[in-house]
Amino acid sequence: MKRIYCAASLVSLLFAGLASAAETINAAGASFPAPIYQKWFEEYKAKTGVAINYQGNGSSAGIKLLTDGTVDFAASDVPMTDDQIKAVKIKPLHFPTVLGAVVLTYNIPGVTADVQLSGPTIADIYLGAITKWNDPRIAADNKGIKLPATDIVVVHRSDGSGTTGIFTDYLAKVSPAWEKKVGRGNSVQWPTGLGGAQNAGVAGLVKQTPGSIGYVELIYAVQNKMGYASVKNAAGKFVKPSFEGVTAAAAGMKEMPEDFRVSIANGPGDKTYPISSFTWMLIPSQISDPAKKKAITGFLTWMLTEGQKDAQALSYAPLPPAVVAKEKKQIALIK
Amino acid sequence: MTFRNAYRKAVNNVMLTLTGVCAVITVSTLFIILAYLVYNGGKSVNLDFFIKLPLGTGETGGGMANAIVGSGEIILFASLIGIPIGFFTGVYLSEWGGQGSVYSFVVRYMNDLLNGVPSIVIGIFAATVLVKPLHHFSAIAGGFALSLMLIPITAKNTEQFLSEVPRALREGSYALGATKWRTIASVVVPAARKGIMTGIILGVARISGESAPLLFTSFNNQVWSNGIQDPVASLPVMIYSHAISPYDDWHRQAWAAGLVLLVLVLIANIAARLILTRGSSPGRG
Repeated sequence: MKRIYCAASLVSLLFAGLASAAETINAAGASFPAPIYQKWFEEYKAKTGVAINYQGNGSSAGIKLLTDGTVDFAASDVPMTDDQIKAVKIKPLHFPTVLGAVVLTYNIPGVTADVQLSGPTIADIYLGAITKWNDPRIAADNKGIKLPATDIVVVHRSDGSGTTGIFTDYLAKVSPAWEKKVGRGNSVQWPTGLGGAQNAGVAGLVKQTPGSIGYVELIYAVQNKMGYASVKNAAGKFVKPSFEGVTAAAAGMKEMPEDFRVSIANGPGDKTYPISSFTWMLIPSQISDPAKKKAITGFLTWMLTEGQKDAQALSYAPLPPAVVAKEKKQIALIK
Repeated sequence: MTFRNAYRKAVNNVMLTLTGVCAVITVSTLFIILAYLVYNGGKSVNLDFFIKLPLGTGETGGGMANAIVGSGEIILFASLIGIPIGFFTGVYLSEWGGQGSVYSFVVRYMNDLLNGVPSIVIGIFAATVLVKPLHHFSAIAGGFALSLMLIPITAKNTEQFLSEVPRALREGSYALGATKWRTIASVVVPAARKGIMTGIILGVARISGESAPLLFTSFNNQVWSNGIQDPVASLPVMIYSHAISPYDDWHRQAWAAGLVLLVLVLIANIAARLILTRGSSPGRG
């Protein structure tokens, strides 16, 4: 009997300890910006004590969880569609956070030089029309590199993904064949290839599979010292994905629409890296818990000012000042 | 005649070798897994792993303190729900559920079916009844999912050990004037105590390595969980998310998490063995 009593009091102690911790905000979605989001949330927690639990489980999963109401806010690399917005009980607002690049990362045995690829070539690789690394269409853009006769292993995302959304949006803009056969979307019918979960999963597969090519956010290739391709932009120049290339893409944007839903794929400018995109946090326009509202709006304000300074170190591009000013006004709309 | 003898001898030798080889394969598989995990996990585990929180994607360092506690929390809930229900189901089946009873036949059959439901399906079920309506991933939902796996294991095991208690013990108790309830509580269950305990501990060890039911019930957490109604980190989910990543340091931590999980399960197993061999449980089987 005494033993049972001891166990019971131990259990109740544990519960009491767990319940007394500070408030946590739960968020989920895009894995494309996960490295910088988690860095931000760590810094913000150190500064204010507000803990934000972010799980980068894919843009589509994030939107689904926001719709179900199981997270406090979500994140996506592709703006929500009108139908998706309608499906959410409390209308979400789009807050661009940073810009990033979707890069073609590869693992070609024996090749250390930077490979150059044009949009239609990438589309044909992903359509399964180009199957060898030494295909004449790849070789034509890579004079001076000896490409092996290895089979190309195409790697794509297995989960619903904003990174896929950005990538297929770009391919649809540069390849009519892609637009007709596959189209755009967070999940598409892939004609060929292996699937990996999240940006990390695709990077992991490419790293382990000789002959493979995959698409991930720039930071995932940089952190893992994997090769990534220069891509031909709308001005006809090959641009290596970088902080500068993405910044140029942002500068080429004509005007940010009122609701911040915009695509900048294949934008103008000599220095523009063509597969660049904003990435968004999706914040409910009404937050009933005052403590949570204060924490989330406080974070947004911090992110738009202090937080932007972290972008470059992680190879993301900070928001243009005009966009920041516009977003600050939108924070006031959160009721 | 001699030919027949030689033939029978040959068949005997072949079968003996075959079974022996299979036994060696079974045991060596276990040892290869253990050795590989201890080798990789051993060089990966460090103090930080036990006392620090995970760092952001791609950063080197940090630990899984929250996942170790979280796993403990989820398993505790699973045990609090699963063990009593499973245990009493087992008692019912053994003591009241005779061969002719249709009801116990159905319960026994359903129990076996539940035992065979893929763990991912149990996860979906728990998410549908506890996560979606409440709008919260939570440690409780994770514990509930795992308890659904623990119930059939505990029930089956309890029934087995109880029905092995000799009939004479029960009759002795009745002869002294004890009621059925008294007999079960004071004679039958204590006699099978060690076996039941072992079964429970093995069941708990079995569910503690499950990641699929936790993916969309307890979810995951970068930081300390805010309470039992909040998402919580757990070792199996951490192993999953770290193992598919491209980062060497995350792979290291996944190995470390695997080793820590294995050691916890081994401790539970060894504890179960000790409880079984110590004391004077009536011989079983």
